[in-house]
Amino acid sequence: MKAPAAAQAVPLPFLPLALSCAAFGGGLLLHIDRVPAWASLAALVLIAWRLGAARRASFLPGPYLRSFLALAMSAVVLARFHTLNGLSAGTTLLTLMAALKLLETHKPRDEAVLIGAGLFLLLAACLDRQDLVRAPLYALQAWLCCTALAALATPELPLTRALRLSARTLLLAAPLAVALFVFFPRLPGSFWAIPRGNSALTGLSDSISPGSITQLVADYSVAFRARFSGSPPPRPQLYWRGPVLHQFDGRTWRRLDTAARPPLHLEFLGEPVHYRIALEPTQQRFWFALDTPAAAPAGRVFLTSDSQLVSAEPVTQATAYEAVSYLATRTRERLAAVGIREDTALPPGSNPRTRELATRLREHSADDAALAAAALDFLRTNGFVYSLEPQPLGPNAVDDFLFRTREGFCGHYASAFVTLMRAAGVPAHVVTGYLGGEWNPIGGYFEVHQSDAHAWTEVWIAGRGWVRIDPTAVVAPERLTRGMLQLMPQAYPLSEQLLQRSAWLTALLQRWDAANTWWSDRVVKFSYASQLDLLARFGVKTPDAGYLGWAFAAALVLWLLATGLAALVPRRRGDELGRAYRRLCARLARIAPARAAHQGPLDYCETVLAVRPDLRASLGALIAHYAQLRYGPGAAAPEAVARFARAVRRLRLAPAR
Amino acid sequence: MSAAADATADAAQLGRALETLETVILGKPEQIRLCLACLLARGHLLIEDVPGVGKTTLAHALAHVLGLAWQRVQFTSDLLPADIIGVSVFDRGSQRFHFRQGPLFTQLLLADEVNRASPRTQSALLEAMEERQVSADGTTYALPEPFFVVATQNPHEQLGTFALPESQLDRFLMCVTLGYPDAAHERALLRGGERRELLAGIAAALSPAAVVRLQRQVRTVHLSEALLDYLQTLIARTRERADLRLGLSPRAAQGLIRAAQAWAFINGRPAVLPEDVQAVLPPLVAHRLQRREAAQGLGDLAAELIRSVPVPA
Repeated sequence: MKAPAAAQAVPLPFLPLALSCAAFGGGLLLHIDRVPAWASLAALVLIAWRLGAARRASFLPGPYLRSFLALAMSAVVLARFHTLNGLSAGTTLLTLMAALKLLETHKPRDEAVLIGAGLFLLLAACLDRQDLVRAPLYALQAWLCCTALAALATPELPLTRALRLSARTLLLAAPLAVALFVFFPRLPGSFWAIPRGNSALTGLSDSISPGSITQLVADYSVAFRARFSGSPPPRPQLYWRGPVLHQFDGRTWRRLDTAARPPLHLEFLGEPVHYRIALEPTQQRFWFALDTPAAAPAGRVFLTSDSQLVSAEPVTQATAYEAVSYLATRTRERLAAVGIREDTALPPGSNPRTRELATRLREHSADDAALAAAALDFLRTNGFVYSLEPQPLGPNAVDDFLFRTREGFCGHYASAFVTLMRAAGVPAHVVTGYLGGEWNPIGGYFEVHQSDAHAWTEVWIAGRGWVRIDPTAVVAPERLTRGMLQLMPQAYPLSEQLLQRSAWLTALLQRWDAANTWWSDRVVKFSYASQLDLLARFGVKTPDAGYLGWAFAAALVLWLLATGLAALVPRRRGDELGRAYRRLCARLARIAPARAAHQGPLDYCETVLAVRPDLRASLGALIAHYAQLRYGPGAAAPEAVARFARAVRRLRLAPAR
Repeated sequence: MSAAADATADAAQLGRALETLETVILGKPEQIRLCLACLLARGHLLIEDVPGVGKTTLAHALAHVLGLAWQRVQFTSDLLPADIIGVSVFDRGSQRFHFRQGPLFTQLLLADEVNRASPRTQSALLEAMEERQVSADGTTYALPEPFFVVATQNPHEQLGTFALPESQLDRFLMCVTLGYPDAAHERALLRGGERRELLAGIAAALSPAAVVRLQRQVRTVHLSEALLDYLQTLIARTRERADLRLGLSPRAAQGLIRAAQAWAFINGRPAVLPEDVQAVLPPLVAHRLQRREAAQGLGDLAAELIRSVPVPA
């Protein structure tokens, strides 16, 4: 494109250009952690370049250099991401190209394109992340973009006026936005879900090996939140079941496809526990449930024969579900042969001393229950220690742990106990999940953190079915009643430790978490079903999208009426003058007593001069000007009022030195 | 001499008159200005004070400095209307009744202790004040221009007085009190000797014609919408208040405007500001507004009023 010489000769007004750059820069900042650092840096350099050129009218690159830069940047993006599609690559490319557009910004139209890029980046950010903490940032960015548009439309508008104009416009539009939010029929499902790149898996995985839980334990982020309908069960019973691990290779426990096992018919004992879980995205397919869930809570989630909830799709966004669990079950059925085989399998030839111990315990025990008790006794009486930093284990890890190091955490104990049981011929497996959680009194729910990750075991006892045994509880009973953070503060960063010691900080964080939960429950997850619920609450018998449309139309008419009426009400004459005068008084109130409502201008002027006699000349003239405009003959001309407003802005109140 | 030049000269002379008055009446610049404002607003003045604080001196000085003819009438309970208005006497020579003008026919009348006279005499005076003319025996006689009544009354003397009713009080534009001078000015007073003797050596700064011209100029001081808004709110406030017997009358409101214009004029302003209204409000409401019995003695009513109404901003 050939740059029109005339356009270049007349530089763009600075404020609209700067604001356009700011709108684009704001959009850039929203994605700063999604876009590679070099791309952000390049965009910032380009912004600085354009702004520098605006001030000093120095040169902007010609068409060849621009074309070259565009091609080069596309090439770099392609090289880094191997695609120009997708969230990260697309955003990066957009920011780079919009930044390049800056270098050929010669007309207001080009600035509009730039503001459009800022708005598009805002939209992308809204689709990407909807945390409460980001909501104010999005609002600010919207404000910035609208301010830039206002400044672009009226270049002589001063910054404060542009800011105020756009803020007023946005506020005026806010009720309409709320009406659209509430009543515009939502598309069911995850229509807006963006294809995400391979985000890191978080939380428990489908295997554990020594050390994998330690990483989790140091992570204080929230895994899920659980709200009970009734009173919550006692804390030591809050075993949140996650992946059940059957296969052991001597070092690592893994999940196994248990689809081949016939389902067990469980008798549920005791009262059902109803609760709702709000799961944070994990990118994995496990859903968590308390102890033994009675049924799968949703359509594409399955309840396996070992009572796990497994979803067909990975949990890529925050998910909430209602579930019912029982804290005790029983079955009189026999374990299927495939179950016995899989849950007694041990790698051949491994851990000979453990096998020896199992044989010895077997001989002294009447039945399987007594055997389990004896095994627990062994752990209790032989100086085992709970430690998050155990010594490394050798190739026969269980032998090493049981007879040499005797220190470890839940993973070690669960692994050793199951190995011991299997060696004695008793079916057993490792269950991973979370234990306990932090009670949030403000929100009325449990926050279960990654640090609450835990591993325990289930042992098959004929006539009772799978019985939960937590060998860690034998060694560190306090683990049942207290979170890891209280138990082993030294394992956590200093910040988390300090946080635990400060009660009000904890309360503050709980408040914040409760606010976040409200936000994600009520705002982010506001769905078509929520909309229909809302209509039902207003007395609509058979709510559907049609009613939503009518409700929106009614809200629209109301809004139009309200804004129309507001526009019809005459504005007070001399409003502009009054505003400038009030601004003056507000400024003076910082250096002198504030103006009393009944004080006239001269009266107040004397009040100020009593404190600051040095202002007599400047302030006296200004006040006389005001008195003349407000009370003098002839209606105050807008230009004269503007002159007064400018004089108010220019008035220097700093004491003369 | 052109009108504009006249106006400038008059304003200058007004300043000089003020200065002169301040040398005669010591330590009371505010009251002097209020008296002048009252005169320029074509209102009449009521001075409420104990004897001997300089009421008569003030009236005398005003008349002298402004170059006005003046008369003084001591009001007593046996004073008749004819004693102030004048009587028709039979003239032997022309064989006709001839109206002999009373002391009312002057430019500045000092009506001393106006509350001592009978209601009949009071109302004769007050009617003349309002109409600026006198009717006797079917003939109407116009009073001189300017015509300015300074009445005094002694608030502490109750015996044998006829208190002026509200309707009559409303005819006085302002009611001021002089009060005792402060220590420094009293000392100067004691050293300086007889104040009235001073007057003999002072030349008149203005003339009746100049005073009339000034009165006309006062009417041209600008009144903005914003100020009228403020003034109306102020008036309305006096009528809303439950603790007042009566609010301000429309006549009082007109008087307030004129007084504020005169005050602005004296201070050299081309337009009336809220401050001008606030300055003349206390003497304007002093004799007009009264609290109900239950709320009496609760402090400065005018200041309270002023504080309760925000100025336009």
